[in-house]
Amino acid sequence: MNTWSAAFLIARKDLNLYRRDRTGLLLGLLLPIILVAVFGSVMKFAFGGDGGMPRVAIWVCDEDKSEASQKFVAALREVSMLSVRPGAKSKARTASGLRTLVRDGEAHHALIVEHGFGEALAKDAEPPLTLIRDPGRQMETRLVGIGLMQAMMSSGGGRSMSWMMSSMMRRYGMSDQGVARVRASMDVMQNVIGLFASGSEPELREADDGDAALKSLDMSSMFGQMVPVTKEDVSPPDRPKNLGYQLAQSVSGMTVMMLMFGLMACSGMLLVERDQGTLRRLLVSRAPRSSVLLGKFLFCATVGMVQLVVLFVFGELVFSIDAFRDPLTLLALSVTWVAAATSFGILISVWAKTAKQAEGVATLLILVMAALGGCWFPIQMADLPWYGEVVTRSTLTYWAMEGFQGMLWHQKPWTDPVMLRAMGVLWGFVAIACGVSWRLWQRRFVGT
Amino acid sequence: MTELADLLVVDELRYSYGERVAVKSASLTCRRGEILGLLGPNGAGKTTLLSCVAGLLSGFGGKLTFDGKPFLPSDDASSRSRLGLVPQELALYSDMTATENLVFFARMQGVPSGDVDAAVQRGLDLAGLVDRKDDRVSSYSGGMKRRLNLAVGDMHAPDLLLLDEPTTGVDPQSRNHLFECLQSLRATGRTMIYTSHYMEEIQRLCDRVVIVNEGIVIGVGTTEELCRQAGTAEGNLEQAFLAMTGRSLRDEA
Repeated sequence: MNTWSAAFLIARKDLNLYRRDRTGLLLGLLLPIILVAVFGSVMKFAFGGDGGMPRVAIWVCDEDKSEASQKFVAALREVSMLSVRPGAKSKARTASGLRTLVRDGEAHHALIVEHGFGEALAKDAEPPLTLIRDPGRQMETRLVGIGLMQAMMSSGGGRSMSWMMSSMMRRYGMSDQGVARVRASMDVMQNVIGLFASGSEPELREADDGDAALKSLDMSSMFGQMVPVTKEDVSPPDRPKNLGYQLAQSVSGMTVMMLMFGLMACSGMLLVERDQGTLRRLLVSRAPRSSVLLGKFLFCATVGMVQLVVLFVFGELVFSIDAFRDPLTLLALSVTWVAAATSFGILISVWAKTAKQAEGVATLLILVMAALGGCWFPIQMADLPWYGEVVTRSTLTYWAMEGFQGMLWHQKPWTDPVMLRAMGVLWGFVAIACGVSWRLWQRRFVGT
Repeated sequence: MTELADLLVVDELRYSYGERVAVKSASLTCRRGEILGLLGPNGAGKTTLLSCVAGLLSGFGGKLTFDGKPFLPSDDASSRSRLGLVPQELALYSDMTATENLVFFARMQGVPSGDVDAAVQRGLDLAGLVDRKDDRVSSYSGGMKRRLNLAVGDMHAPDLLLLDEPTTGVDPQSRNHLFECLQSLRATGRTMIYTSHYMEEIQRLCDRVVIVNEGIVIGVGTTEELCRQAGTAEGNLEQAFLAMTGRSLRDEA
């Protein structure tokens, strides 16, 4: 027999074995399909804006209530990269209501169309707009700026373009002569900006030493600032200055997801115990049978707590995330999430017939929940339909992220209603999962 | 033998796994201080019978009596404490040492903390592992693991020790050592139920033998009594067994 014949025989044998492992086969084919479907759907909602840009939620309050302001808000709703809230048919919020939303971390950007908006536009002047924002959400700020420009141009047409360009060019150091040329020549505006930006016509600049300003002229940033707004930054006073939103998101997401993987491996020891025969020995022992399941729970929970401590100490030392700022909240959240992740692991272990099945199903569920719950990227960014919201809120990871982001980013104490709600949902799951696990344990392991 | 000498009485025991009947009707008596052999072809119901007695299965028909009292080990921890189990598989923690395994199971069996050291020493002596007591089980030979498997099952000096094919996969020397261990236990008055496929083991160790076939007890007695019952040559348990259970091949379900 030559090498190829032998290799062919071995490959055929392995294919036969692979085909007979129904669970492995199903997961091998199903896992990629499910993950592609989940991620595809989430990304579609998250990056459904123009040119694949993310859709950013922005709360709007029209204080002016003029024809122009209503037209502007309507145009904002048409901007595909923005998701304007509340909806057109929903009850409007007041300016103070929006400030509360941002302060409580329920929203990251809110726009107040101030009194006098319509009047200013009629005079070709800068209309009064106030943007209340979480300064840590810089990417969203930039997208909101672009969205405001689109809406302003759409609602005001050429007239808006005139003052917008003038205002912006002045901010970048353009002389009055240049501004005048821009205002007089809107049809060649793009060329003028191009000349200015390239620096090939120095007379457009107020001073010759404006090279530094030109070099810093970033077109995306420029368009994001075309509509002048008064910014009101709202952020928790104790938030570390070097803690970015993406960092907080990554730390929370990885903490939540990796703990689930870690505890799944630990709770799988129940199946190992069964397969190596020690479980039978334990069940015949004098110890109450419930102690075996409880012992596994305690073991997993201890490992989980140690994992969390190590993760947060690392985050503190390397990234200065200030996780130990509020030890009580950290402890409450950690205990809650460890209990929930342990319950999940135990539930899978008592449900699965084999260790391989448990591993496959757990991997699938953890990855899907991580994606839907916002561990990999902020799911709040996605403009989900109502059923999408229901699905994401049905995952353990969503509530865990709500808690950890609430603590790390929004600096909320454990007594905050948002935190209590998140922990309450997780403890509810713990109760249900433990009840179901107990029944399955009795039926499948104890034989009663 | 008087009624008082009976330790375990199994009366009309029945058990099914769903539609499949594993034990149709099994009645037997295990007397105090004896080694009772449980013999049967593959799939005869021996392990199911043993599992019912050990409390690993519940919801069976019939009745168990232990020391003259109704016995339900699946529901009652104190009933289970009177049993010891030596399963067919090596039910040990291979990343722990012999001492650690013995200490752990002694505590799980409720051995008082003051008596644990003595129980561990007795277990190490029984297993012949005093010199290797602090080595991990994973470094032991198959025979050493088997001996430790037996010692762990007997940690709490149970009234009844259930042995499910305890010599599977061991060499003749280790098997001989195990026999000596079991005989030394019998000398202390330990009662045992011993299942095996090896006729010579049963003949050498057991006082009486129960033959199970297709979920039914078809013969109980000493080797001589069974040979007489089967009409085969005296002293040849294998011939009696084949005569009673037939020569057709059996497979586990």
